[in-house]
Amino acid sequence: MKKTSTFFMRVSWLGALLLLTASLAYSQSRTIRGTVKDAKDQSPLPGVTVRVVGTSTGTQTGGDGTYSLNITTGAQLEFSYIGYETLTIAIGSGNTVNASLALSSRTLEDVVVVGYGTLKKKEVTSAVTSIKAENFNPGVARSPMDLVQGKVPGLSITRVSGNNPNAGASVQMRGITTLSGSIGPLIVIDGVPGGNLDLLQQEDIASIDVLRDGSAAAIYGTRANGGVILVTTKKGRSGEPQFNFSSYLQRDAIAKKPRFLNAEEFKANAPAGNDLGGSTDIYDLLINKKNLSQYYTLSATGGTDKSNYRVAGYYNEGEGIAKRNSRKQYGGRLNVNQTGLQGKMTLQANLAANFNKADLLGGSNGDFEQAVQRNPTAPVKKPDGTYLETTGFNNFNPVARQEQELSERDQQTIQGDGKVTVEVYKGLRVSAFGAVVRNTWNDRQYRLRASRSSQQDYQGGGYAYKGNRVELDKTFESVIDYNNNFGEHGITALAGYSYQYSTIETYSANNAGFLTDAFQDWNLGNGLYRTLGRAGMASNKVDNTLVAFFGRVNYTFRQRYFAQAILRHEGSSRFGANHKWADFPAFSAGWTISEEDFLKGHRVINQLKLRAGYGVTGNQGFANYQSLILLSTGGAYLQNGSWFETYGPSRNPNPDLRWEKKKEWNIGVDFSLWGNRLAGSFDVYQRKTEDLLANYDTQLPPFVTSQIFTNVGTISNKGFEIVLNAVPVQTKNFSYNIDVTFNRQQNEMTSITNDQYRLEKLEFGGLPSPGALGNAIRVVEGGALGNFFGKRFAGFDDNGKWLFYKKDGSKVPAGQITQDDLTVIGNGVPKMMFSWNNVFRYKNWDLSLFFRGKLGYDILNLQELYFGNKAWFPNNVLQSAITKHKALNDVPQYSDYYLEKGGFMKLDNIALGYNFKLKSSYVRSLRIYAAGRNVLTFTKYSGLDPELEDNGLTTGIDGRGFYPRTQSYTIGLNLGF
Amino acid sequence: MQKKYIVAGLASLMLGMSACTNLEETVYSEIPAQNFYKNRTEVMAAVLRPFTHANAWAAPTGQVGFWRVSELSADQLAWPQKGRHGFDGGDWIRLHNHAWIANDNNAWNPWRLMFWGMGFCNNTIKDLSAIDFKTIGMTDEDKAAIIAETKVLRAWHYLKLMDLYGNIPIVTEVGVPVSPVNAPRAEVWAFIEKELKENVDLLPPLSPALVGRVTRAAGYAMLAELYLNAEKWADTPKWDECIAACNKILDGSCGSLSGAAPRLETDLLKPFDNLNHTSPENLFQITYDYTVGNFRFGWNGDLWHYEQKKLYNANFNGNNGIVVIPTAFDAFSDKDLRKKTWMLIDTAKIDVAFRTNFNDSIVKGTEEYAGRPLVFVKEIRRNSEGEAGEGGMTRGEENSGARFNKYRPGPQTSNVYWNNDFVLYRLAEIYFNKAEALTRKNGGTATQEAVDLVNEVRKRAFSATDWPTEAYTVAKLTLDEFLAERGREFIFEGKRRTDMIRFGKFTTASWWDHPASGQDKWELFPIPYNQMILNKNLKQNPGYE
Repeated sequence: MKKTSTFFMRVSWLGALLLLTASLAYSQSRTIRGTVKDAKDQSPLPGVTVRVVGTSTGTQTGGDGTYSLNITTGAQLEFSYIGYETLTIAIGSGNTVNASLALSSRTLEDVVVVGYGTLKKKEVTSAVTSIKAENFNPGVARSPMDLVQGKVPGLSITRVSGNNPNAGASVQMRGITTLSGSIGPLIVIDGVPGGNLDLLQQEDIASIDVLRDGSAAAIYGTRANGGVILVTTKKGRSGEPQFNFSSYLQRDAIAKKPRFLNAEEFKANAPAGNDLGGSTDIYDLLINKKNLSQYYTLSATGGTDKSNYRVAGYYNEGEGIAKRNSRKQYGGRLNVNQTGLQGKMTLQANLAANFNKADLLGGSNGDFEQAVQRNPTAPVKKPDGTYLETTGFNNFNPVARQEQELSERDQQTIQGDGKVTVEVYKGLRVSAFGAVVRNTWNDRQYRLRASRSSQQDYQGGGYAYKGNRVELDKTFESVIDYNNNFGEHGITALAGYSYQYSTIETYSANNAGFLTDAFQDWNLGNGLYRTLGRAGMASNKVDNTLVAFFGRVNYTFRQRYFAQAILRHEGSSRFGANHKWADFPAFSAGWTISEEDFLKGHRVINQLKLRAGYGVTGNQGFANYQSLILLSTGGAYLQNGSWFETYGPSRNPNPDLRWEKKKEWNIGVDFSLWGNRLAGSFDVYQRKTEDLLANYDTQLPPFVTSQIFTNVGTISNKGFEIVLNAVPVQTKNFSYNIDVTFNRQQNEMTSITNDQYRLEKLEFGGLPSPGALGNAIRVVEGGALGNFFGKRFAGFDDNGKWLFYKKDGSKVPAGQITQDDLTVIGNGVPKMMFSWNNVFRYKNWDLSLFFRGKLGYDILNLQELYFGNKAWFPNNVLQSAITKHKALNDVPQYSDYYLEKGGFMKLDNIALGYNFKLKSSYVRSLRIYAAGRNVLTFTKYSGLDPELEDNGLTTGIDGRGFYPRTQSYTIGLNLGF
Repeated sequence: MQKKYIVAGLASLMLGMSACTNLEETVYSEIPAQNFYKNRTEVMAAVLRPFTHANAWAAPTGQVGFWRVSELSADQLAWPQKGRHGFDGGDWIRLHNHAWIANDNNAWNPWRLMFWGMGFCNNTIKDLSAIDFKTIGMTDEDKAAIIAETKVLRAWHYLKLMDLYGNIPIVTEVGVPVSPVNAPRAEVWAFIEKELKENVDLLPPLSPALVGRVTRAAGYAMLAELYLNAEKWADTPKWDECIAACNKILDGSCGSLSGAAPRLETDLLKPFDNLNHTSPENLFQITYDYTVGNFRFGWNGDLWHYEQKKLYNANFNGNNGIVVIPTAFDAFSDKDLRKKTWMLIDTAKIDVAFRTNFNDSIVKGTEEYAGRPLVFVKEIRRNSEGEAGEGGMTRGEENSGARFNKYRPGPQTSNVYWNNDFVLYRLAEIYFNKAEALTRKNGGTATQEAVDLVNEVRKRAFSATDWPTEAYTVAKLTLDEFLAERGREFIFEGKRRTDMIRFGKFTTASWWDHPASGQDKWELFPIPYNQMILNKNLKQNPGYE
């Protein structure tokens, strides 16, 4: 398999080069040439977008500021460049058009996507971040969220499974706002709420806009508590047909390997009788050192002003650092646009598909837990060729598992959507939008007859499993919008209706006791366990309906006073009978002070705008049917000689069940200073999420079960966010740009009690066996979220036994510690996040250095807690068991002894690119680049990686099993022709 | 032209606006209560729900329920720490030492599970009362019988709750009142007596078809227990009532699983084996059938060593938890066949069918004895470190303590593999109950009839050769001996705490490393802390305020 991949890769690269040299472009147009310079110092500007107004024909200036453009129609050229005012110049009869661009009040005319429409950046009155494709993190993204990691203040994006090709990113905005609902933001892809990230390819994304606060997000009502991320894909454009080809190759390397004992050290330290005669580094055997990921995508766009298209296809093979851990995918995206009826009617249609096949067997946390703890003197195989299974508690041979088992997923995701817009009157448009997203997968598993699982649990008869899942989301929306100016007054208004219906169906079956391994899972009925009545079968279906009416009005006065009001009236089938519908209002206003006479033309202050907003949003991201009295099964019982399932109420019903409700204030300022050399924004927010859903304790009796899923608690978050963009150096050949984001946040569990229901505490982070060490994290009313709660280490006694502090300060052995002696010993939620991006451009070269970090939190190091302890013998231990924790001679206990400071800064992304200046009329652009990810980490943390899951309620725990963290190195090319 | 646009646009809009605003949920994989109870099978599926639920609290199946706190707080069983395993936040040590508090899972979880089961009974009574049985092909007699059975089952939940907590709320309707008061124990006792007496004779006699159900045999066994403990629970001795209830069972008027009247097995394992749904000794049991019903009495988690499954050729793992306390093991004489039959002490060879190769015939340890043969020992101490003496709760090793062997699943190749029912009442207990009532009625001195009853049960535990010297006489069967013999006969059956309290030994006796806990408060568990906070009408038990 490896051979073919390499071969295919080579062929593809060769193909790309052939296309480059062989492609033809033919036209009868005239060619306009010119140079674009900085208006102030007359230095040439590279990378300026030059476009024929009214068409999509365009190009970019080269390193010397020159451009040439073939045009067939059009009378005006538009020159745009980030940080400069956009300039439009009429094309005369001559073939030369030069331009001088002035530094602008940065990007104020940029369009920001705000849900059901767009606003100009200068009109925005809430906390919104808009990131265009050119500002995405360079290099390779496993998930589309990687593209904006660190770019959006307050948005925490963590790759909790490292660079595992089959794992997504964990995303959270401005801290946790829920106990049982959805944690992450609502993802809206091209207008489809709840869009599927698998459908997004890096090269297809035009922009990612993030609605950070409630006053903007309220337009999405019951799903907007976690913020809203709006993804807009690239669309067709008119003009000369263009092709774009991109490709990259990537290899991952282990960033830090755990230091466990080798065979010699193990023999010297482990109790006698545990030398099995070999010397094996089984961790090493789980690593795919020759991993190589490759990616190819080709897109084409073209058409006329009235009808145009963009089509893209891709092929991607992702290999993880672990063996049996890969994902192959291919797919495409098609966009078609047409305008008719004298420009009064437009139609836009998209079709996107992703087909992927994942090898899910390798890369599991359990494998790497075994890799550390397996007796290093144990050979992988016995002399007779069978795998050697060590007999310790919870031991298995991870290499044997990888060789003897199979676990794969075949997934297909398809989205089709279409939108028709008709302008029925000047400024008044009506649109209808429909979308269908279908996400399906088939899982298959097989365990060989000789495998440990089969031997131990299935009498050596093999085990086979098949399962599938179908998710279907249908969306229909219709919107009327109106846009007009009346003198100094401008109004943009919209009103709409939204209907979404989603179903999830699952089906699975398993069987065991196969006579032969020949069938794997492809003859499922053939196993003995079916006839024994021990085969498994399950199916399930759930549905959810969301219906909403919504409206938004934006008002501007004299282009300096702005106001926005939103109301969404939304109902969800999940809510209880007494609370089916909810209202989500929001209001925000802005004042561009720099447009006032007293500041206009100020030498230092180019732009200054104040914003304030308040919004109410909801969270309906909990399980279906929670409000109903449902009967569920309770095991079979004998009934009249036959065995039938029993049925009983599965929960206390709650007809009052409703959404979690967040109320948020946001006050912000946008500024631009010193000729726009320094710009940025500052936002401060305070949010209170009420009616938090959880299973609260209730009186028992009289209720049937001890808890009820109901709305009780309150969480408060507050914090501030800073964004700064600076251009310290901008000369003819060299420029240096800095982008900084910083945020600080605080979370508090304000209440988990009301008159009838209460929780004394919420606990998270259950510590793994042995020893049932309990939960690591406890949240109590009035306390912070993410508090580590446990014993305080007081030293070891003469025999190396644990001593802990009692409440009164005395030192006692573990057995004498009671609940009363436990206390808050740390917190796993980072208080601060920052990023620092540096972009250098020199002639055709560009270099970016992106640093990112989190500060102010503690990490519970479970690897040390369990593996760094001699009590873990006869399993293998970390070297620290005989060095750092040498004095310890006792069983694992959870205490602040294992808490470490977790702050870090990473050189997360370094990318060096070169844009070729090609005189060829065949090749429009060629860029090659090399990039590295997760290159350097600065931290005091002793473990493998200080960046852990810090979203949600279980935070800051460095687990015993782990997917190896890697550095990734990429080379790639982008070619336009 | 313009008009046409407006019409077209508004039309498309109206299409949307007139669309659905219906927010009903369609339930696919569960059943909304209003759509249930359409026929006899559905009705019975709800009636039987509390029985499968009792699996969680009455039997040792992995949860902190009635069984676990009753055994681990008494003198026969313990869950000691074994090296890095089993400390478990000190939960089992607190049970053993009598040191639990109101805010303790040992106090909360049995309450939660048992009142939950009681709630199922209330829910069944409520739901079925509203149904006209004739419309679903059943009769009013069916309805009366079902409601009688559910009421007796509910009384059994209250009986066991009263045993643990004493003063508990009496609630007979779901949700009403929201914050009930707790009734004094004697009042709870009277409620249970009334419910049992009103309904027990409406129940059918035990028959093979009614295995696992609440029949007249179960009802009278509950009454026998209620009356035997009446002196403790209601401050009024009820010896005659106890004897009368026992006689109802003994004389065969309550039916049997086999034959006209129940009778004692002669084989020590028969009441517990994987065919024990036919044992004539058993009166009330949670019935299971793993091969057909896929529901199993899963004692393996609590009671088996990690590798113990290999001894039986079984396929469910153990957590190496609960073991026999050394003094309880020594309470059996070596002549007592129950010692070797119901407890596991020696190395056993792996079942032949489980071997993967010829040499692999000895079960090996995984911790202190990794790679070496696993030999269970009666001591709970660090033998691998050369420790001598009595050991202690934190001093265990993976092989410490004799192990549970009373229930055995049979090999996984068997077509009755793991079909064992968990026995709640068996005839032997009725013999003991009657004998004790006779003895206490006689001022604490055994009568010959009492001795005969106990001997009848005891006899099967000894060889014919040993029996003449091992048989009890009036002189030998003192009250202390009575408690000791009850312990030997009912070890692992979840009855030890109740018995010790009735004999006044629970807080006054010391055993193994457990010194007498002294205070009366330990005879009751506290009302759980979270219920005390939620329900202001609850009064805490004495000593836990």
